[in-house]
Amino acid sequence: MKRATPWVIATLLVLPALALALKVVVLGYRLSDILPRTVYRVTLTMRLDGHGRDVKVRTYLPASDDRQTITNEEQSAKELRLGFESDGGNRLAVWTGGGVGDGAEARFSYTVMTEPVRYQLDAGLEVPTAYAESIARYLRPDTAIQVDSPEITELAHRLGADRGDVRARLDRIYGFVSAMPQRPFKGTTDALTALRLGEASCNGKSRLVVALARNVGIPARLVGGLILHRGSKRTSHQWVEVYVGGRWVPICPTNHHFAELPASYLVLYRGDQALFRHTADVNFDYRFGITSERVPSPKAKAAFKVWNVWALFDRLQLPFSLLRTILMLPIGALVVVVFRNVIGMPTFGTFLPALIAASAGETGAGWGVIAVLILVAVVFLARWAVHRLELLHSPTLAILLAAVAVTILSTALVADHLGLPRLTRITMFPLAVMAITAERFYLGMTEQGVRTAVKELLGTLVVMLACFAVMSSLALQVLLIGFPEVLLWVVAANIYLGRWVGLRLSEYLRFRAVLTPGAM
Amino acid sequence: MAQVVGRWREVARHRHELIGINRRNIELVYANNPRRHYPIADDKLLAKQILGAAGVPVSETLHVCDGLFAIPGVLAALAETDDVVVKPANGAGGQGILVLGERVGHGRWRRASGGELTAGELQRHLAEIILGSFTAMLADRAFVERRIRPHPLFHELWPEGLCDLRVITLAARPVMAMVRVPTRESDGRANLHQGGLGLAIDLRRGRTFRAVHRGRAVTHHPESEMPLLDLELPHWPEVLDVARRAAAAVPLGYLGCDVVVDQHRGPLVLEINARPGLEIQNVHGYGLARAIAEAP
Repeated sequence: MKRATPWVIATLLVLPALALALKVVVLGYRLSDILPRTVYRVTLTMRLDGHGRDVKVRTYLPASDDRQTITNEEQSAKELRLGFESDGGNRLAVWTGGGVGDGAEARFSYTVMTEPVRYQLDAGLEVPTAYAESIARYLRPDTAIQVDSPEITELAHRLGADRGDVRARLDRIYGFVSAMPQRPFKGTTDALTALRLGEASCNGKSRLVVALARNVGIPARLVGGLILHRGSKRTSHQWVEVYVGGRWVPICPTNHHFAELPASYLVLYRGDQALFRHTADVNFDYRFGITSERVPSPKAKAAFKVWNVWALFDRLQLPFSLLRTILMLPIGALVVVVFRNVIGMPTFGTFLPALIAASAGETGAGWGVIAVLILVAVVFLARWAVHRLELLHSPTLAILLAAVAVTILSTALVADHLGLPRLTRITMFPLAVMAITAERFYLGMTEQGVRTAVKELLGTLVVMLACFAVMSSLALQVLLIGFPEVLLWVVAANIYLGRWVGLRLSEYLRFRAVLTPGAM
Repeated sequence: MAQVVGRWREVARHRHELIGINRRNIELVYANNPRRHYPIADDKLLAKQILGAAGVPVSETLHVCDGLFAIPGVLAALAETDDVVVKPANGAGGQGILVLGERVGHGRWRRASGGELTAGELQRHLAEIILGSFTAMLADRAFVERRIRPHPLFHELWPEGLCDLRVITLAARPVMAMVRVPTRESDGRANLHQGGLGLAIDLRRGRTFRAVHRGRAVTHHPESEMPLLDLELPHWPEVLDVARRAAAAVPLGYLGCDVVVDQHRGPLVLEINARPGLEIQNVHGYGLARAIAEAP
């Protein structure tokens, strides 16, 4: 070690620690703010056969409120035109089209970030004798919510829900309906039918809760929405809101949430509505596709004051994932350094694995490896074919770049055709990086032999996976995004490794003749 | 268990004698070889000029082909010549070296491998060198030197080409040396990783004391059965002297000096290397750090 090195390393270790402490203690940054949140991307796909007639489809779109934030709305449609309407506080999307043929399609996607909520219901809150008109209408009967039916009144009385404070009445109603046997969804069930059958799916149970609550003087309404889980589904969900102490408080008798709602609930509309209405006889079909992603919380974004690259990215409308990749790249490079200089694993080039890992952020690790293998295989074949023409070096490289371009686009086409959306992200792979990787493989193959080249290719893939694992580590991302000064720690680690003269792990094997002459 | 502990003790005992890549780079290359002087080692023509000027014996440069326009001139000059070698100035690992053996007609030569070489092929090879096919750089120069006639010992070790002597010098002091013997298996290349032979040389006695083939100690040539141990190297004191003088002539403190022994011209420096490989330690069976400590 040079004399100055320990001091430089110590400084680089201490400075970020101080900055971190300053931010946490003085500026009040909280790690919990920076903890990433799950955001969902919901894509509603609707298909219909218009048979050449005029067609109209309407459905509810989620609106942003205290609990849920809706962003990045995108729509596309074939043969249909989208318009928006408002319907008593709900957002309605209406697609219309004239002379619509078969196989018409419309998509609408949006990003959702939700907060879980929990309400404290105070004991001793009496049922008010009168409500404002805007609220009082949630006491009246509806077609499928038979508030005044004697059977409902009788049940409310039998449950004791017509006596005591608001909290006690709701407890009894919720306790009863929540305990009713669950049935899978079989179409719309009104409150009375649910009561008579003694079992129901989400909409029947919810209507029964609404009917009972209204019957005993507590305003209540149905809420329709989605439960956000990754995957594809047709099932929507219904639950209830009751008006207590000036607030609408959620109750889900189906999944047993009383005065609370988990983050997975997305509200689409309020009231006893059908989620979809459309022209008859059009073979209407729909699907909700839901994906999720972890992103830093907006609170952390707001907390940023110094070196505010977040705000810059927002202004430039660059995706946040790009900022994350840029900040994580030095970490990936450190992983490569450890693999090369401490373990001694051969790779193509110094930082190709980290760069490939960064590109694989879009495809995922598995498809990333497959993408690399596809590219290397095709470019290898192209290189072999070109080799027989005995071309000069630079034109050869230019041809390989063209091969990479065509391979990437063709792979994306095939992947799209096969329904492999992650593999289509192979288009995010940097052309030059892949051309260089493949060329290195070919040269290694011809100059150092198959064994060495395959070893380097495997090494590259292993190190790429290691980079991927580290770079996609949530804890590290949180740390770097909240406290980018820790990059100085990475620099310190590199300085240490840069002056480290120890034997690489692989050298214990390579030089075993020197290390254990007795055994040879 | 006891065996593992014993093995580890042995490793721990020998570890400090060994120089790994990290230690070589930091303690030998960076400490002794300023980067700005690398071109001397990388560019064989430049190295030969500097060494030649300092009176170190090198193989004479017959022609230099610097740019595509110079190719016709070089072709014309070579048309009536034979027994020469065409090399890229910045090639590595013996790449891009073309041997023009016995002339079999106008503009036709015997290759080292036995096939025939035409002027057209030679022309394309020169162009490839100049366009940088054998170097990491964008362009290169080609040069022509007279083919080496190896000393009988080396000819016997590898009749189809050249064996060279790799002498590692630190501050112009030879610390380790080996003979690199190409084999049929290594495709005529003196590369130890590809099946070439390495013969460790006792610096004081000028005799081989260990031979390694594919990481294994051997006593005989795996192809010709020729005994490899205790061979007396021809012109050994001169080889050391040539290596010392070459090292002293360049501002690089840690060198791999490649020397060949020509039948008539004696030891000639072929090229110098500013970051010589570490496989020589496996050939010797002990580490470079120990060799440096014990060097005469």
